Amino acid sequence: MLSSTTERVTLSGMLADDGYLIERLRTGDDTAFEELVDHHAGPLLAVTRRILRDEEEARDAVQETFVAAFRGINAFQAESRVSTWLHRIAVNCALMKLRIRERRREQDVDALLPHFQADGHQDHSSVSWSESAEEILQREQSVALVRQCIDQLPESYRVVLVLRDIEQLPAGVVAEKLQITRDNLKVKLHRARQALRTLLDPHMRGAM
Amino acid sequence: MSSVTCIELIAFLDAYVDDELDADTRAGFDRHLLVCPSCRAYLETYKETIDLARGAAEREEDLAHDAPPELIEAVLTSKSRRSKS
Repeated sequence: MLSSTTERVTLSGMLADDGYLIERLRTGDDTAFEELVDHHAGPLLAVTRRILRDEEEARDAVQETFVAAFRGINAFQAESRVSTWLHRIAVNCALMKLRIRERRREQDVDALLPHFQADGHQDHSSVSWSESAEEILQREQSVALVRQCIDQLPESYRVVLVLRDIEQLPAGVVAEKLQITRDNLKVKLHRARQALRTLLDPHMRGAM
Repeated sequence: MSSVTCIELIAFLDAYVDDELDADTRAGFDRHLLVCPSCRAYLETYKETIDLARGAAEREEDLAHDAPPELIEAVLTSKSRRSKS
């Protein structure tokens, strides 16, 4: 693998190394494309895996990302970062696959939301977890457990959580990509977080 | 907001966490949190859930950063085919 180069930021905010790379890509320099793929394929695969949960589809989405990037190299905006540009293309490619994938019957998320008594108090008292997120994530098995819990969320809630809380895309962008209103997105994200909290809770109360 | 209940606080917890509430409503939420250990724990674990989701994804990327060689090869072959056509 090629070693990553030191990133230098120019006054315009664009990385100087990005600028040189884009210039070479536009002139048809094959080694520049190899560098682009070598440097970005890994992180992009992680993104498409998170969205699609299917290795083959995730790899296809990465391949399509680079094809789309190669085709659209002249449209690349100089003020952007290459990694941000590729990330957006990868998310689009993965979401396209998600849409055309035969939709599984959407499970109800209600069972994973907190329940309340008639007087508005919580049905079951919540208790703090025994360790901080940072401490929990020191263990590889905990990382895998968090992933498994995220994967148990109903599809439309899981995708909202991945795009907003993990990929950290702006709300307007996610609402547009998922073709839902911003209000609907907000409700879904809150429910997704609550449902994930419910799934994690029994594991996090005691030491894992 | 005069007297906030658990159901109200948890319904708008995302707005509380994202600091989107007006000052009066926020003060009402803060008063409820002072007297309700269950909601304090819920708030704490709600925020920790967000940190865990984000942190686990970052850790996964650290653990498996490189793309499989066959994927790199497939991308380069695909590009080479398109360049020739």
